[in-house]
Amino acid sequence: MTEEGMSWEAVSSGDGGNWTRPDGEVMSPPDVDLCQVWTGVAAEVWRRRPGPAERVAARLLRSPGLARALVTTPSLLLGWVIATVVVLAAGAAATLGTGTPYVALFAPAVAGAGIAYAYGPGIDPAWELSQSMAVSDRMVLLVRALAVFGLNAAVGLAASAATGVTGSAAALTFGWLVPMTAVCALALAAATVSRSAYVGVAAAMSGWTIMVLAGKAAAGRLTAAITDSSLLLPYLAFAACCGAVAWYATRIPRGAS
Amino acid sequence: MNVELIDLTRRFGRTHAVAGVSLQAGPGVFGLLGPNGAGKTSLLRMMATVLPPTSGRLRLLERDPGSLGPRRVIRRRLGYLPQNLGYYPGFTVTEFVEYFALLKDMPPGRVPRAVAAAIEQVGLADRAKAKLRTLSGGMLRRAGIAQAIVNDPELLLLDEPTAGLDPEQRVAFRAVLRGLGEWATVVVSTHLVEDVGAACTDVALMDAGKLVFHGTPAELIARGEGSRAAGDAPLERGYSAVLAAARSAAGTRSATETRA
Repeated sequence: MTEEGMSWEAVSSGDGGNWTRPDGEVMSPPDVDLCQVWTGVAAEVWRRRPGPAERVAARLLRSPGLARALVTTPSLLLGWVIATVVVLAAGAAATLGTGTPYVALFAPAVAGAGIAYAYGPGIDPAWELSQSMAVSDRMVLLVRALAVFGLNAAVGLAASAATGVTGSAAALTFGWLVPMTAVCALALAAATVSRSAYVGVAAAMSGWTIMVLAGKAAAGRLTAAITDSSLLLPYLAFAACCGAVAWYATRIPRGAS
Repeated sequence: MNVELIDLTRRFGRTHAVAGVSLQAGPGVFGLLGPNGAGKTSLLRMMATVLPPTSGRLRLLERDPGSLGPRRVIRRRLGYLPQNLGYYPGFTVTEFVEYFALLKDMPPGRVPRAVAAAIEQVGLADRAKAKLRTLSGGMLRRAGIAQAIVNDPELLLLDEPTAGLDPEQRVAFRAVLRGLGEWATVVVSTHLVEDVGAACTDVALMDAGKLVFHGTPAELIARGEGSRAAGDAPLERGYSAVLAAARSAAGTRSATETRA
C-alpha cells in the first residue's frame, strides 16, 4: 500500500481508525486487509434478508437450507397459487350455479398437479446440483410436497366453505382429503419414478378423470367418486401404495463401495 | 488421499460409461481429458455422489459415500459444477450462490461473507445483484463456479468449467484453480488441452470408459514427441498419440478375441 516518496500520517480521530495522506484522502492503516474489509462490506450490502415465511420455515424445519428450498417451490410461487385460487373459485361459482360440487371434483386434480410440479428434473432448474448437496433431496421433496398439499387443502376448503356446502366432518374429510391424498400420492409416485413432472401431472389428471367417470358409469352420478363411502379404504390403500413407490423411487442409492 | 477409485464401473443398460477406472488423487489440480462420450462426466457425477457406481470401490475424503452419514459429511466439503448448470432465472447472483451455500449446510452466520468472497473470486462483484436471466453464458458459468467454491471445498469437481469463458476469463480462472489446488483436490474435466497444461499438476486421459493415461502434463507431452500424432501444441500431440495408441491396442485386442 505504501508508495515511494509518499509520507503517511496517522490522523487521530475519535475511533482512532482513520488514516489520511497529505492530500487529504482517507486511507486504511497499513495492517488492515482491505480485501477482507471489502468482502465484509459486500456481504452486508448484497445479503438477502429472508422473508417472514422463510424465517418461520427455518425455525420449524431447523434448517435454513430446507427453508430456502421450500420457498423456491415452483408450485408455491405466487403465479401458481393465483392460478389455483382462480380454478377453485371458478369451481365454487359453478357449484353455486349448478349445485354440483365442482370444487371437490377439481381440487384433487389441481393438488396433484401442484405436487408433481413441486420438485424434480426439468422443474427445478438446478436439480442435478441439488442432488450433490448436504441437505437431502428426499427431504426437500417431502417438505415441498407437504407444503403444497397443505396449501391446496386450505384453498379447497375455503372454496368449499364459500359455496355454503355444509355437512358432517367425516363427509367433508372424505369428500376432500382422502381422494385428494390418493391423487397427490399418484402424482408423486408417477413423477418420481419417471423423473418427469409432466408424467406426474398426466397420471394425476387422467387417474382422477377415470375415477370420476367410472363413478358416474357405476352409480349414475358424477359425484360418486367423492361421495361413495365404500371408496374410503381403497383410496387410502392406493395412497399408501403410491407413497411407498415414491419412497422407494427416491431412496438414497447406496451404490457399491 | 481425497479421491480413491478402485475398479469403478458404471453401466447404463448395456453401455459401459465407466469401465473399471482406478485412480488416486490428493491435493492439486487434476485434469481429466478425453473425447466426447469417454465417460468423464459419468466419472465426475459418481465422485459428486450424484450417481452411484455399478461396481467397484469409491472413497472420497477418506469416507464411504455409500453410507448416509459419511455421504452428508462429504457433501458439506464438496464443490460441484455440473456440465449443464441449471439456474433459477429470477435469482440474483448472490441469491443463487447463497442458496447452495445453505443447501451445503454451511453455518448461516458464515454464509454472507463466504458468498461475497466467492462472487469476488470469480469476478462477478459488479453483477452481484443482477438477475441470472440477464447474464451472458460466461457469466452464468462463473456464477456456477462461485457456488462450487463457496464452502471452501476440499474436493472440487468441475465439469467443463471454462466452456463459454473468454480467453481473459480463462486465464483468471486458471489462477483461481491453481490457488485452490494448493490445499484441495480439484478435478477438472475438460476438452481444452491448454487448460490442463496451464493449471493441472496431474492429468488423466479417458477413452471408451477406461483410463488410458495417468501422469503429469510433462509426461503426456513426452508421449507425443517424435510421433506423427495430430495437434498444434505439444500437449495436443501427446493427447492424440495416447488416444491413437489406446485405440490401436483396443482394436488389436478386439480382433484377437473375435478370432478366438
